[in-house]
Amino acid sequence: MKTAFLWRRGLKALALAGATALVFGAGAAGAQIPPNGAPPATSVPGGPPGGAPQAPGGEGPGVPSQFGPPPPPPLTPAEKLVAELPPPMPGGIIPTAPVPAGAPMPNADPRDLQGTWIHNQKLEFRMQRDMYDVPVPYNMNGAKVLARRVNSLKNGAPFINASAMCRPPGPQWQRDLNFPFQIFQSKDWIEFVFEEYHGRWQVILDSAKTPPPAQKAYMGYSVGHWIGDTLVVESSDFKQALWLDVDGTPLSANGKLIQRIRKVDNGDHAPFLEVVTTIVDPTYYTRPWSVVRTFGWHPGLTVFNEYNCEEQIGDPSVRADAGLVPEPQD
Amino acid sequence: MTKTHPRHGIGAILAGALMAAGIAASAAAAPAGPNLEGVWKIVTPTTTLKPVDGPIPFTAQGRKQYEENKRLQAKRAYDDYDITLSRCNSPGTPRLMLTPERFKIWQRFGVLTFDFEWNRALRQIDASGLPPVGDPLGMGLIPKMTGISKGHWEGDTLVAETTNFSDRTLLDDLVPHTADMKVTEHLRLVSPDTLEDRITIDDPAYFARPWDAVVAYKRQPDALFPEDVCLDRHDAHRPVFPPQ
Repeated sequence: MKTAFLWRRGLKALALAGATALVFGAGAAGAQIPPNGAPPATSVPGGPPGGAPQAPGGEGPGVPSQFGPPPPPPLTPAEKLVAELPPPMPGGIIPTAPVPAGAPMPNADPRDLQGTWIHNQKLEFRMQRDMYDVPVPYNMNGAKVLARRVNSLKNGAPFINASAMCRPPGPQWQRDLNFPFQIFQSKDWIEFVFEEYHGRWQVILDSAKTPPPAQKAYMGYSVGHWIGDTLVVESSDFKQALWLDVDGTPLSANGKLIQRIRKVDNGDHAPFLEVVTTIVDPTYYTRPWSVVRTFGWHPGLTVFNEYNCEEQIGDPSVRADAGLVPEPQD
Repeated sequence: MTKTHPRHGIGAILAGALMAAGIAASAAAAPAGPNLEGVWKIVTPTTTLKPVDGPIPFTAQGRKQYEENKRLQAKRAYDDYDITLSRCNSPGTPRLMLTPERFKIWQRFGVLTFDFEWNRALRQIDASGLPPVGDPLGMGLIPKMTGISKGHWEGDTLVAETTNFSDRTLLDDLVPHTADMKVTEHLRLVSPDTLEDRITIDDPAYFARPWDAVVAYKRQPDALFPEDVCLDRHDAHRPVFPPQ
């Protein structure tokens, strides 16, 4: 697995450098380099920090071997299972207008994240690759869960999940949808209030004042601290396992999300939040892996549309499970 | 099942509206004008929106519906008259203001966001003074449990007018209203730690004249609210509104 991982990194390195720049644009180009406090993209000893290219065989970054790259190693059974799944639906987004001159702008303090933001990237229905374009490192347990969920959709009998049942879907899914949210902040905590799902993501800065709740929450328990101007938040203690996206990329109830959040203002009147999320879950993955998202400043979306999924979910004239089927438990 | 709002196309119009309003820069952190921010809790929990004087001035049609609700309540046919009890539907405006748990008020960009502890419910009052935004997708035509609330300040009092209601909510546990109701609220601090909401109900089909109710709230210590999921209580056959 480690060999395969390193080989892919080396082969794709040069192409990726250009491709990812196109994807994220100048404003988010910093996403290619982990922000302060971010981990290297791999836990492989000696691996390249921050996703820097490295060819196999120890020749050094980006240098092909004398006889060209070796043939790709055979896929692991887990990789083969994931690779053979039907592709996810393509995500889309209609770009929002730039923030006009004269509009309110974020506080100049980089540690003040308050204001209204909205995810400004295409929705990813299924996270197939990490922020360095490396395939998600499933182990066989994780691959089986994903395959089960994707195939349930394909077979027309999708599984019950938190979103479908009008329950808080967890921090990653909550942030990823293209809905606005507001951030409110005090010295002891930072609260993200979302338009959809009645979403509240609470980041506790002083865990002595706010210990974990007696009963676990769907959104977990999130504790943050600042490293430089990056807010590092560890989320764990989830009430139940999460779907990280619409297709069901899994996180076990014992999994952990590490979010590295920073406000970026390049002086182009287009400030944004960058959130690098590292998924740590040995139940389903061979190593931690990370994705990056950006959220544009949008004070014009402070008045939310009403979100009231209970009206439909609780309707006694429809099936309580909304026509979804229970997922088999491992 | 889960609702989606293809709202991105509204961005340009919203952006233009903001520009026209000329809101001061760096307004994110602090409310402009009178400050109602804080954590609040109703002083006297109640399930009844009581007029300040006399009985509710029902019209014949309004009384008929009220009596019907009482009959359905006695039969425990909750989904036939109160989908908050039967489904955890948003209690809407003004019933949310009667919930016995705490709520927070935030003021950002002239918008007051009421963040309720009960089921993480939200309502908002737009007191930004911005002109109406364009609505090419017709979202404003969809009736809302909390309505559409526009506010302005008269001295230290926030005056909020709410319309565009769904008729699927109640004013309290029993009193009905139509989709044509207008709710006018006067929100002010009567002392540094006491918030008052004078609620005027104007709904000619059900009430012979507009009538007022007054609800008071006491300031609470700053706190994060625990995650409250009404549907979990509902599915466990526990009360939608937990006993206080």
